Amino acid sequence: MNNPVSYVFSCLFVLAAHGAMLANVFINGSYETVTQPIILTAAVMLLDVAYFIVMLFFRQTTYTVDFLLVLVLNMSVIFQSCFGGVHFSVKHYITAIVAIAACRGGYLLCRDYRWLQRKKKYFYIGIGICMLLILTLTGSRSMWISIGSSTIQPSEFMKPLFILACATSVTEQLNKKKVLIFNVVYENITLLGLMLAICLLQWWCRDLGSLPTFMGIYICGFLLRICYPKAKFSKKTFITAGIGLMIVALIAIKLAPDYVQERLHSDIWNDQDGSGYQQSQALIGIANGGWIGKGPGQGALCNVFAHDNDIVFATVCEEWGLLYALMMIFVLLIMMAVPLIVPPRSYYHATMAAGVCAAFTVQTALNIFGSCNMIPFTGVTIPFISSGGSSMLVSGFMAGMLIAAVSPSLKEPKLRPARPAIPAPAWRYQR
Amino acid sequence: MNSTDLILCAIAAAALDICAMVLIISAYTERRSSKRYWKRTTGLMELTEPGVQFPLDCDELLIGRHASADIRLADISVSRYHAMLTVDSGRWTITDIGSKSGIFINGNLVKKAVLRENDMISIGSHRLVFRRRREKSE
Repeated sequence: MNNPVSYVFSCLFVLAAHGAMLANVFINGSYETVTQPIILTAAVMLLDVAYFIVMLFFRQTTYTVDFLLVLVLNMSVIFQSCFGGVHFSVKHYITAIVAIAACRGGYLLCRDYRWLQRKKKYFYIGIGICMLLILTLTGSRSMWISIGSSTIQPSEFMKPLFILACATSVTEQLNKKKVLIFNVVYENITLLGLMLAICLLQWWCRDLGSLPTFMGIYICGFLLRICYPKAKFSKKTFITAGIGLMIVALIAIKLAPDYVQERLHSDIWNDQDGSGYQQSQALIGIANGGWIGKGPGQGALCNVFAHDNDIVFATVCEEWGLLYALMMIFVLLIMMAVPLIVPPRSYYHATMAAGVCAAFTVQTALNIFGSCNMIPFTGVTIPFISSGGSSMLVSGFMAGMLIAAVSPSLKEPKLRPARPAIPAPAWRYQR
Repeated sequence: MNSTDLILCAIAAAALDICAMVLIISAYTERRSSKRYWKRTTGLMELTEPGVQFPLDCDELLIGRHASADIRLADISVSRYHAMLTVDSGRWTITDIGSKSGIFINGNLVKKAVLRENDMISIGSHRLVFRRRREKSE
């Protein structure tokens, strides 16, 4: 650990933030017996302290993303435990622990970018397996695989694999081959083909909500590939790519299935009991909550379907207020901004971090703007806040990738054999 | 909601806000320690020619004439993408990436070479010295 004082202070402030939220639950919350908030408090504090101890076993140059992760995960546990009356949400707590484990796994796997580059073909194989699972096991044009009482969304697992496939190094991009009159990088062509295959698959299994996330990752990766090694945007390329994207989007809207067309053109206030039910209730909930909310466990949105994932922003707004909901998003934004403060040292890690940030940003924006009726409702989750095992696991893994990007494994220099000293060049002494 | 509850809500929100601020400050502190770690693992080197220093701050650096190169040598004798500098376990390596005029290390033409302190790298008409960074330039 490089700065123990900073580490201890960060621990104390995270505990203080959760403590203040839990005090709010105790005083303003709606609960039958005081046992429930006590269990919740014990669980949250235990997870905080356990993670602070676990972090000590990992040698990292920066721990900020870890602190932000535990802050946002336990915020989410408190939020989810308060929906529909204060109780301890065991399921969400377990998924939070799974997310933390996935984060550690993601960090260990991704901290050495040279190793990742050598294993790149396995990411393509992984994506292929996920696509096969979707085609064969999800049933008729669905995105879920049912295992007993639980369900898995295989397309979620494609996201980190796709980010790893999109990440690239300058050396890889310089490995060009001449095809006819063009100098091309074969991998860029493969990636374009993969993106098209993902688009077709998502279209087929009616999971168009995830498509913008994949598009966001791909566009981010594509721009960083064509603008290497520094982000020097060629105006001509940028405008051409933008126009091409708009044409594709217009064609996609024109050819979209009926249920998408309905969402695109529906007036939620005229159809409050039909397709506009969730969004209208979400907007009413946000308005009812105001700046400081109705109080933990006192909201009415808990009776609406998918209140804890698809419209979770509105549910948090109603119970905790817009102020808290905005700060929740602020914490996520800081997490994504850490690579700007502590920049990655390799191009591969930089492109990987950009892919993770693109995925998080698109998902968060789709959920919030969808809840507020600013864009059609998509049903995409907010990373770490919405409930759902697949989403939490994958978000945790992607947070691990972010930690790996800002805290890479750099090998200490080996002792070199003695060699004759080379005299410094003469011009250095000329004045 | 009465005024006491409002105050409590405000305190809880402020605690979260202060925590976020502390973590941002902590990130800036870690930026310095990250730089120290980088210095320890890579030796904190630079390429210099009279009057110009090019600090080596990334794992991969591209040397060339093109505006997008990390180390830009605006000279017709240098290819657009001339050479690549990479670091692994504290060892800096220079690789020719298909340049027309080649790379000379201490007068010897090389395709790929591990650099040592005070090596003279000739790229086109430029003479660059690979050396440890001076305290002033940190």
